[in-house]
Amino acid sequence: MNSTLQISPLDLRLSLMAGVLAVMAIVFHVFTGQFLTPENLYNIAQQTAVVGIVAAAIALIIVARQIDLSVGSVLGCVGVLIAFLQYSKGWHWVPASLAGLALALLIGLYQGWLTAFLGVPSFVVTLGGLMSFRGAAFLIADGKTQPVTDPIFLALGGGLDGSLGPVISWAVGIVLSALIVWNMLSRRRTQKAHGFPLRPMWFDAALAIGFSVALLIFVATMNAYRLSDKPAGQGIPIPVVIWGVVVMVMAFIVRRTRFGRYVYAIGGNPEAALLVGIPVRRVMLKLFLLLSLLVTIAAVVSVARLNAGTNSMGTSMELYVIAAAVIGGVALSGGSGTVLGSVLGALIIQFLESGLLLMDVSIGNRMVIIGQVLIIAVVFDVLYRRWSGERMA
Amino acid sequence: MSAAVVSNIPGGSPLVEIKGVHKAFGGVHAVEDVSLNLYPGEVVAVLGHNGAGKSTLMKMLAGAYPIDSGEVRISGTPAKIDSPADSQNLGIETIYQTLALADNLDSVANLFLGRELMTRWGTLDDNAMEVAARDTFHKLNPNFKNIRVPVRSLSGGQRQVVAISRALYFNAKILIMDEPCAALGPEETRMVHELVRRLKAGGVGIFLISHDMPDVFGLSERLTVMKNGKTVGTYRTADVNEDEVLGMIIAGKKVDRARQCPGPVGSIQ
Repeated sequence: MNSTLQISPLDLRLSLMAGVLAVMAIVFHVFTGQFLTPENLYNIAQQTAVVGIVAAAIALIIVARQIDLSVGSVLGCVGVLIAFLQYSKGWHWVPASLAGLALALLIGLYQGWLTAFLGVPSFVVTLGGLMSFRGAAFLIADGKTQPVTDPIFLALGGGLDGSLGPVISWAVGIVLSALIVWNMLSRRRTQKAHGFPLRPMWFDAALAIGFSVALLIFVATMNAYRLSDKPAGQGIPIPVVIWGVVVMVMAFIVRRTRFGRYVYAIGGNPEAALLVGIPVRRVMLKLFLLLSLLVTIAAVVSVARLNAGTNSMGTSMELYVIAAAVIGGVALSGGSGTVLGSVLGALIIQFLESGLLLMDVSIGNRMVIIGQVLIIAVVFDVLYRRWSGERMA
Repeated sequence: MSAAVVSNIPGGSPLVEIKGVHKAFGGVHAVEDVSLNLYPGEVVAVLGHNGAGKSTLMKMLAGAYPIDSGEVRISGTPAKIDSPADSQNLGIETIYQTLALADNLDSVANLFLGRELMTRWGTLDDNAMEVAARDTFHKLNPNFKNIRVPVRSLSGGQRQVVAISRALYFNAKILIMDEPCAALGPEETRMVHELVRRLKAGGVGIFLISHDMPDVFGLSERLTVMKNGKTVGTYRTADVNEDEVLGMIIAGKKVDRARQCPGPVGSIQ
């Protein structure tokens, strides 16, 4: 793309999506007058976390040319187990959550093995899983709702007491901003040391400052939301903190580890990946296990948010998760997509849902609109890839 | 430097000994009782129709297909090649006709794909890889600068450079080239020829799969022809002419006026 600024088509695309998000926010605010309020933004951030956590992993699954339709059912199944062990069996939430993780990993091992080692298409494997694990979610607690009460566990789901509070939120915001700037400077230093071409300083500085300011505005907004019976603002909701950590870890995996690179190589050219000696099957299995881990985290957050585990938890979540990844620029043909894109994709869907809800649009109309937005996103994706030369006409 | 030390005349003990190797897919015998040697510093051309078994034979060496029966020795030691990684560890590099590139990754990532350089914290050492890649690409094509864009946007010659760089960077002892010049222009073909000669001078043994007679006669010391999974014959390239080679490829007809040459070129004089 632009050679001196080193803007890749991918960067451009992410900034376009950020722009879309901003426009949506303004339009909804103009129509409803209450979209850009701390309360609404706080709720959106909190509500998006569960889908966002799973979408970060699904993005990689799709990059590797696989799909997982069972995430919603697995989330339900694991969530009910975690709640069931706490409520009906009297377990502490930590071992209960670990048992949930064990179940999720077993499921991941089973589906991943079928896909990676037997070569059964993951679409079919996980379509079966979509049915089976929803059924299992019912069986675990005999369809009964399992309430949970441990205050620490409930805080993981956000809600009234599940946020960092203003002081820690500011600290997190400032530390992360410092990290962004430090990261930019150290990257420039190593690039310079190796004689690699550098972007202009003003551009790097503008980016670093831009991200830092956006982060601090977010923190300020979360702090500005104050419940009437509390002395201080809420701060960043804990589900958002968890989501943020997940995204950072996933981005690290993608950019800095062999595993991450192999996932993209497999998505780009599975045959070449085999020929150069990448252990394709093992990478694929690990990928399914990674997804299981994130589904468990999402299940914990969901149960905590609902204060209970129910057998319908996570129903049709697979659609939202896949839609978030696709809207976020993950190509279903594999090999292309980013974790940050999945964040923006999840936010775009939640903005739509929330904005339309504030505008009193009925559920039927909301579904029609969101479905068509998904198609618009894919049409855009096709045209954009054609334009950037990634794909033949 | 190595060219001065290592003799330019191929010989010594064989780098690769393929002995009575078989491979079947379902009921089809793709490779049947094939034996072939490769000596340091020589190019052996492997010829045959599509489906003659030459690519299958080479893919067994590359670790892409397991061997059904028979033996492969590398530098005299029996080798067990179960995966591409095994093959690479034995010093075998393969340049596939398809180039085996991940189109969505950049040239640097492709050069090191499967064998990334790591920092001491176990993360990808992108800077070290970029420095090494720059250096390797520069040796092959000094004009190749845009090494950080996905390889899908590169020209055919540049893509070939990336694939060849793997062999160069990882110091191949044995190189398998599958139709290396098939998709190249004259300039790039010359680059490949020059590289083959340079590697040869450095003592690398090369299997060259090719349909192109000028390539075969210009580069190889010996040639072997396969038909229907079997070896028709192995000759010194200088002992046979183009028509005889075509006769072997098409009709499977041995050349009577020349002696077969299973050993190094000097061995039957």
